[in-house]
Parts: sequence; structure tokens; C-alpha cells
Amino acid sequence: MNTILNIDPWGFLDDLFGVPNRTFREMRARAAGRFPPVNVFLDDNAILLDMQLPGKTAKDVSLTLEPEAVIIADRPATEEGKEPARPAWSRRLDLPFRVNADKANAKFTNGILRIELPKAEKDGVKHIAIQ
Amino acid sequence: MNNEEKFTVPATKFVESPEGYELKVSLPGIGKEDTELHVEGRTLVLKAHSKYQNPAGFRQIAAEFEHENFAMSADLPEMADTSALSAKLENGLLTVTIKKRPETQPKSIEIL
Repeated sequence: MNTILNIDPWGFLDDLFGVPNRTFREMRARAAGRFPPVNVFLDDNAILLDMQLPGKTAKDVSLTLEPEAVIIADRPATEEGKEPARPAWSRRLDLPFRVNADKANAKFTNGILRIELPKAEKDGVKHIAIQ
Repeated sequence: MNNEEKFTVPATKFVESPEGYELKVSLPGIGKEDTELHVEGRTLVLKAHSKYQNPAGFRQIAAEFEHENFAMSADLPEMADTSALSAKLENGLLTVTIKKRPETQPKSIEIL
């Protein structure tokens, strides 16, 4: 009986993206209600992230793009003369490929944030001409 | 029943103030046109049909939420004035403002 309960439904994603994978470990932590839920979609040219953030708008969320990760965090309202509050939550999602930061876009629709990250064209490979 | 619809009870917050009540309902992915809200007697009934779609042509590699239709009902307190309800849906968050019946409000009595 215990073996069944111990099966990790996201384990296959670790195999897919390398172990240990922080992204999907965090997803499991989400079960505890600590993070807003996210859906991840992939095709050959892009990765798409949908995050449920009811009541939030662009000013309430910060997005940071690293070459192979995206960090989505709560942006607490700043009060004048006070130290900025710590974000209530922050999620770092590792990406399966390098993305083109210039073509990335994010948009809110009815409380769902959709982040579209197109794959970097040459995946960071540079060709060097031989003299 | 192939076309049976599934509904989830949304996350809510109900706050009372001296003047009235405020009900906040999380409806991620729901627009104004997808929402029905009405009062039957003292019961507030909400139904919302999600138009959220997974992007076409993509493979889903992680699923932490679904296309959820939401439904809930709540019995309003005795002091609520069911004729003085207002609701707004912004960014997937519904706020229903309910006033208390005027006769329930404290009255100051002038001492002669």
C-alpha cells in the first residue's frame, strides 16, 4: 500500500529535464498551497506558462528571465518611507532550453498570467568562420 | 450523461463591517460574460463557465490547474439587505458588496 502512496507523479519530469529539477520539486511543494498553480506547455519553438493569479494585475507580479529559468514573484505594494516588504511567494521555473528574451511576452487575462517564451534560435550556438 | 458539467467550489472570503458585508470569490480565467449571479430569497447563487483554453498545438508538461467551471451558493446573514447588492468582477476576482438592512444599523438617541 505504501508504495502506491509514495509514487511521485512528477517524477517523469525530473527524467525529462535532469535531476534534481527545482521546477518540479517546487510544483510538488505547491500541493501545500504555498505557490500559485501553473500549467506548462511546450512545443518545438516555445514554452508557455499559465499561472492562476485571481485579482492580480501586472503591477502585482515581477518577472525575471534568466537564460534558462524564469522567476515569477509576488511584488508587494511599497509604502513610502518603509522598507520594501518581502515577496509573499516566488517561483523559479527551470526551462528546458535557452529562450529569446527579446521576444518573450506576458499577458494577464481574467486573472491568468500567460508567459510566452520563444526558444532562442540557435540555442546559443555560435559558428566561427575559419580564416 | 455525456455532457455533464463539472463545477468546483471557488475559494471565498467573507468579511463583515459595521455597514455591511463583502464577499470575495476567486474566479481565475472567468470573465464577466461567463458569470451568472443571482439571489433567491436569502441565498446568493453563483455559476461561472470557464473559457480558459489550453494553447492549441502545445504539449502539456505540467498541470496544476484545470479548466474549471465554478459554482457556489451562500446563505446571506439575516441582517443583509438583499435588495442592496452590488458585484464587480475584475481580473478573475469577484467582489460582492452587501449592505446591512437600515433598521439593523445602530441609532443614536437624542437625550432631551
